[in-house]
Amino acid sequence: MPDGQKTILVVDDDPDARDFFVTVLEDHGYATVSARDGNEALDRIGDALPDLVTLDITMPEKSGVGVYRKLREDEGLRDIPVIIITGVSDDFKHFISTRRQVPPPEGYLSKPVEPDQLLEKVRELVG
Amino acid sequence: MELDYRQIFEAMPCFLSIQDRSFRILDANERFRRNFGEFEGRFCYQVYKQRSERCEVCPVARTFRDGERHESEEEVRTLSGETLSVLVRSKPILNEKGEIVAAMEMSTDITHLKSLQKLLRASQKRYHTLFDQVPCYISIQDPDLNIIEANEAFEEDFGSVLGRKCFEAYKHRNSPCEPCPVQQTLDDGRPHTREEMVTAGNGTQRNVLVTTAPIREMDGSISGVMEMSADITQVRELEDRLTQLGLLIGSVSHSLKGLLNGLSGGMYLVNSGFAKGDETRVKKGWATVERNVVRVKSMVSDILYYAKDRVPNWETLSAAEVAGDVVGMMESRAQELGVALKLEDLKSAGEFQGDGQAIRALLANLVENSLDACRLHPQCDGHSVVLRLGGDAEKVLFEVADDGIGMDQETREKAFTLFFSSKGTGTGLGLFISDKIARAHGGEIDLESAPGEGTKFIVSLSREKPSPEELPSSPMIKGSTIHA
Repeated sequence: MPDGQKTILVVDDDPDARDFFVTVLEDHGYATVSARDGNEALDRIGDALPDLVTLDITMPEKSGVGVYRKLREDEGLRDIPVIIITGVSDDFKHFISTRRQVPPPEGYLSKPVEPDQLLEKVRELVG
Repeated sequence: MELDYRQIFEAMPCFLSIQDRSFRILDANERFRRNFGEFEGRFCYQVYKQRSERCEVCPVARTFRDGERHESEEEVRTLSGETLSVLVRSKPILNEKGEIVAAMEMSTDITHLKSLQKLLRASQKRYHTLFDQVPCYISIQDPDLNIIEANEAFEEDFGSVLGRKCFEAYKHRNSPCEPCPVQQTLDDGRPHTREEMVTAGNGTQRNVLVTTAPIREMDGSISGVMEMSADITQVRELEDRLTQLGLLIGSVSHSLKGLLNGLSGGMYLVNSGFAKGDETRVKKGWATVERNVVRVKSMVSDILYYAKDRVPNWETLSAAEVAGDVVGMMESRAQELGVALKLEDLKSAGEFQGDGQAIRALLANLVENSLDACRLHPQCDGHSVVLRLGGDAEKVLFEVADDGIGMDQETREKAFTLFFSSKGTGTGLGLFISDKIARAHGGEIDLESAPGEGTKFIVSLSREKPSPEELPSSPMIKGSTIHA
């Protein structure tokens, strides 16, 4: 891994979405790790210690909401910025706004995502 | 004394007259004269009724005949032309020998009373019309919950209910409902409202909004309770449909966002592949675009199927041909995912009655679900989906088996539920519609699945067109059988 290269964990159950985000990020110099559901995401985070996570909400097994909570509850992981990328916009915003103890995510993108939108947000958070 | 009687006679608050046997008026009091004028030489029927001969029914005539008192109700007309209702009483006037020499006639003005009676009758009639014609069920129960009165709408839909308990009539129960708004009103004297599900005489279920009101005696005690039930079944059905429509829109828009995201991804791969001269990437991107377009198409067909409550268009079908069509439809999709799609055991399947288009849609949904289960499996290659046919004399079986990700218990239980999807891009329509089609054919879908071990759907349909009794009245209510 070149010096200073940032690693991003892409979590989405849809392989097309994973391929899309991974390709865009890698084309622009980021290293990526991907996970297809919440449980896998938690495993990967522990191993890879990514600089940023893009997180889908609706997934089989553990949902994105569960992953997000776990991240924020963990001393060692709570500072990793998270971009929520989902099609169910209102539900998640509502979920977060009704829970004061959970801080809001650093980024939020609604599907369909444009490559520039994603890159802009990622650069803003990790450079 | 003579003067006193005269004064009393004059002052009597009624029309008072003395008549001889020919009904000639011999004397009359002041009130009579004021209302009917001078009577000298005139006859009762002339003065009271402007008639030229005596009335057919006359209490005075009867008094002359039998010496008794008599009374009748009459209508008379005053000098000013006003018609009055009067209660006429007649009594004989006897001489010293006890012979009837004259008759006294006292007429009391009861016009006001009569008009009140008329008003009361009209109001009673209106109340009864209202009670019977009001578009809701009304019954009156005594404190033991016996129905003592019911309106026409009630009897029309629940049969003859007088004397029966309300819980029997409304709900076919043997004991009072819990809680019971009628009982609550009996206890606290206040109106109560509740939404209830009741069963009409023909067995149909109705949603009703029940409102109760106490019926009180003069002393304030409660002698019964009026129960008014408005039928809100259509409102509830409409509400359900609107809720479902809302869920459909939510689910479809979520699913569309996912598919559009896939298309964006495909476009990115194609464009960046061209820019880099990377043909593999272009091909991969184009395949992504194609895959997502196919999914949009199948989503649209599911939505249309959901929107119309289709009655099967029955025809004789060859199971092998139907299965062959489905595999043909899904083959390119399977190839692209690197999944082997196989068709097995065609011979035993034979023919059956069904709606060809619907059965193909049912099987295509199951195959698509299986292909997705393979696609989502962490290990990408070497998966297979098998469409296996079978059956006996009565049933034809279609089995769709995959070795994909499989389902956990929650997913298994909700698999056929409307708008449930475990996939990020699913609408939750596909399996629901497959189940609905199977049920509309008098058949069912069994599901066997375990996480990591794959899923098997078994569709069993009867070979002959089932009789109407064997078909569900609403195929949307129950889910299919599910095995772990």
